[in-house]
Amino acid sequence: MTVHFLAISNDTLFIYFALSNLIYLGLLIVAIVKNVRHRHRLGSQRLELVKASPFTPPITLIVPAHNEERSIVGSVGALLGLEYPCLEVIVVNDGSDDATMEKMRLAYQLQAARILYIADIATAPLHAIYRSPLDPRLFVLDKEAAGCKADAINAGINAATSPYICVVDADSILEKESLIRIMAGVFSDPGRVMAVGGIVRVLNGSRVVNNQIEEVRLPKSPIEVMQVIEYLRAFLVGREAWAGFNMLPIISGAFGVFQRDLVLQVGGFRTHAVGEDLDLVVRMHRRLHEERRPYHIDFIPDPTCWTEVPTDLKSLARQRARWHKGLIDTLWPNRDMLFRARYGRIGWLVLPYMWIFEFFAPIIEVVGYTTIILALISGELSKAFFLQFLLFGYAFATLLSIGSVLLEEMTFRRYSDWREVARLLIYCLFEHFPYRQLTMVWRLQGIWQYLRGDLQWRSMKRVGISTDPVV
Amino acid sequence: MGSVFKGIQKLGSAGLVLEAILLSVLGILLLIGFIVLRRWYRARYFHKRNRRTVALRSQWDDILSGKIPAEDWRFKPLDCDIVESILLDSIEMSAADKLPPLLDCLRVSGLLDMRIYEARTSRGLRQRTALLALGRTRAMEAIPALAAGLDSRLRETRIAAVRGLGRTARMEAAIPILDRIVSGRFDAPERSLKNALVNCCRSSPEVLVDYVDRTHGPVRELLARVLGELASPELGEELLVLASDVLPEVRASAARALGNTNASYTLPALHSLAADPEWFVRLRAVVALGQIENIGKISILLRALCDANRHVRQRAAWALARMEPQLHQILEDVVATKDDYALQAFVSELERSGAIEKIVSGFARSGHHSTETGLMEVVAEARKRVELTGKAAAAAAGVH
Repeated sequence: MTVHFLAISNDTLFIYFALSNLIYLGLLIVAIVKNVRHRHRLGSQRLELVKASPFTPPITLIVPAHNEERSIVGSVGALLGLEYPCLEVIVVNDGSDDATMEKMRLAYQLQAARILYIADIATAPLHAIYRSPLDPRLFVLDKEAAGCKADAINAGINAATSPYICVVDADSILEKESLIRIMAGVFSDPGRVMAVGGIVRVLNGSRVVNNQIEEVRLPKSPIEVMQVIEYLRAFLVGREAWAGFNMLPIISGAFGVFQRDLVLQVGGFRTHAVGEDLDLVVRMHRRLHEERRPYHIDFIPDPTCWTEVPTDLKSLARQRARWHKGLIDTLWPNRDMLFRARYGRIGWLVLPYMWIFEFFAPIIEVVGYTTIILALISGELSKAFFLQFLLFGYAFATLLSIGSVLLEEMTFRRYSDWREVARLLIYCLFEHFPYRQLTMVWRLQGIWQYLRGDLQWRSMKRVGISTDPVV
Repeated sequence: MGSVFKGIQKLGSAGLVLEAILLSVLGILLLIGFIVLRRWYRARYFHKRNRRTVALRSQWDDILSGKIPAEDWRFKPLDCDIVESILLDSIEMSAADKLPPLLDCLRVSGLLDMRIYEARTSRGLRQRTALLALGRTRAMEAIPALAAGLDSRLRETRIAAVRGLGRTARMEAAIPILDRIVSGRFDAPERSLKNALVNCCRSSPEVLVDYVDRTHGPVRELLARVLGELASPELGEELLVLASDVLPEVRASAARALGNTNASYTLPALHSLAADPEWFVRLRAVVALGQIENIGKISILLRALCDANRHVRQRAAWALARMEPQLHQILEDVVATKDDYALQAFVSELERSGAIEKIVSGFARSGHHSTETGLMEVVAEARKRVELTGKAAAAAAGVH
């Protein structure tokens, strides 16, 4: 009986592993084709013409800020310096305990203003609305903390006056042309394109001057470099390929553009959702499918947002556990979309993929490792085959990691120094052992916390964006 | 290789896995090798290109005047590419009087003919690159080849042709686009079409009027939208006809166009459009009213400030809040409407524009403290009511 169980478990693990990697190989190939095409298209795009065009729609940047005293002034300054013809920036101070509001008030000479504010989406109460006489495009909403980023974003959506909103993290850096570039995704078909995501890259290690990236460098510590590879794979391969089939399940909360009306129709960002960005995009898919509207939710790989990633294992563990909680927190309420014809490929492909290859991945992996070791001990599996199987798994997964570095090399080449690329390639060799096993444990922790009802946001240790030359 | 795998086969399923390992490792090595080779090749290429660019730049005047014959650089692919880039960049940045020598160089060297040939005979990326380069030349003889690109069965190529025609910024380039749009079977992104037409028709928007008259439905709306951007006072009566069109989008475009024409007929036309049954037509009319200099617009804007649509109210408030000399009187008129929403929208815009302080200090100077207090009390009260109503509406809509 035990032997039979071990055999079935090992077979399942093998098939699961093979399927998972083959799907990713398929995604990599699609992403390479799509990225190369996009590069060619970029060659013909003239950003200055887009800027000068009278048909360029206004956009509102919403910046939720909670205890961001270290970076808020610089970040807002950089956002106001973005190259876009009709821009409005709304900073939402979400009940910060630190000097976020004071620093903003001093830096931008904020004055209380009685600005029209209608709560289309209910949020925690506002204390006041401020405007800056220094820059009429800047507004600051000071509100009570609701304990979640979604509430702050919703307040920003209520106050926004543009047809498009872009949510940006206060501790992130947008490149000067990133808004124009991301809106190019909307311009391709404004009637159909409901939301567009841009790429999020790792800021750690790069030289930052005046809140703009001066020189792109790899971070020093291995844990941060591993995240660089992860981000490259997730964005350049995963999101690019899923978007190619109009099946993009997530637009990063750090940088994405949405049609404001649609966001209002779906009730805004779900308050207390753990992964509010994933949750919103899935609900958008749901709504658009239910209304049978032709639509596209796209990903554009060149508009770049640089964000700081965890530098220590503890913060990384918390982040990964939270991401996994966010995944379940979205998948479970939307389980009725699974295998329902009305939700098309979202219900038949994306959500099942996320359940099987994202949510269950750590569970299957841990069960698989256990049964393989048991089979090895009981003699059901030969040592040679065991080693070969591990080697194959490692080599194939490494191949995919190197594939994402190749994709970066073929397209955007942000790491221009060959030594940086060499380091990336070397770290690819360590991503699947032991880093992957660590993330597996953290994701399991996330599942456990979710089952216990622990949805608390745990703070992440951050260095902060400074005006120093090196972050 | 075959014999190695043959040996492995004897191991059974383990052999299969071993084979997979070898293939994966081979894949890894190939990818790394490709990355290294590509880096090396690119570094070498750009170094060489930089060197040649400096050399050609130092001889630029001689190349342009023909003292250095075209044969010297034309048949060296790298040199030819560099010279063409410099020429096209110069053409884009030059005023009309500086164009002839640059275009002559393109013509004499045969670069223009080469691009026309490529645009007509190549396919895929090469054809699209040629179409865009032709557009950048702004040469008349490029237009037929660009127009031919509009008939490609590939959407990407059609888009490149539209962009190319737009970049010529010549009225003649608009005709092939317009002819195809009017046929109703032309598929290209609306935004690319509009931008191209705006570029081409900027100096003679009247060419669009005839096409607007001949079309219906979405095509008519698209053309009207372009016309709305470019309209000049000379179009006068044509705009009045469009202002009474059956399509709301066309009426909205007419309203936008009227904002560029401060003529005697403008105010009456906008007055009527500001009362249109469609909210976005009213909105466009109010935006246009904000653009024109005419004191008579105040009464229309005050009416729009009480509009049922929030966007119309906001834009009316925006326009009124920028009429600085009349702000006191306007504020009193707004309070007299007894419309809380109108009052809130107006005060909100005064705050936004920073004019509220001027009004308050103006009251203080004139000694009307009680009037000021009274007005501000009304404003504060109205604000509370608007917020409560907004929240109630959100709750009623089930938004939480």
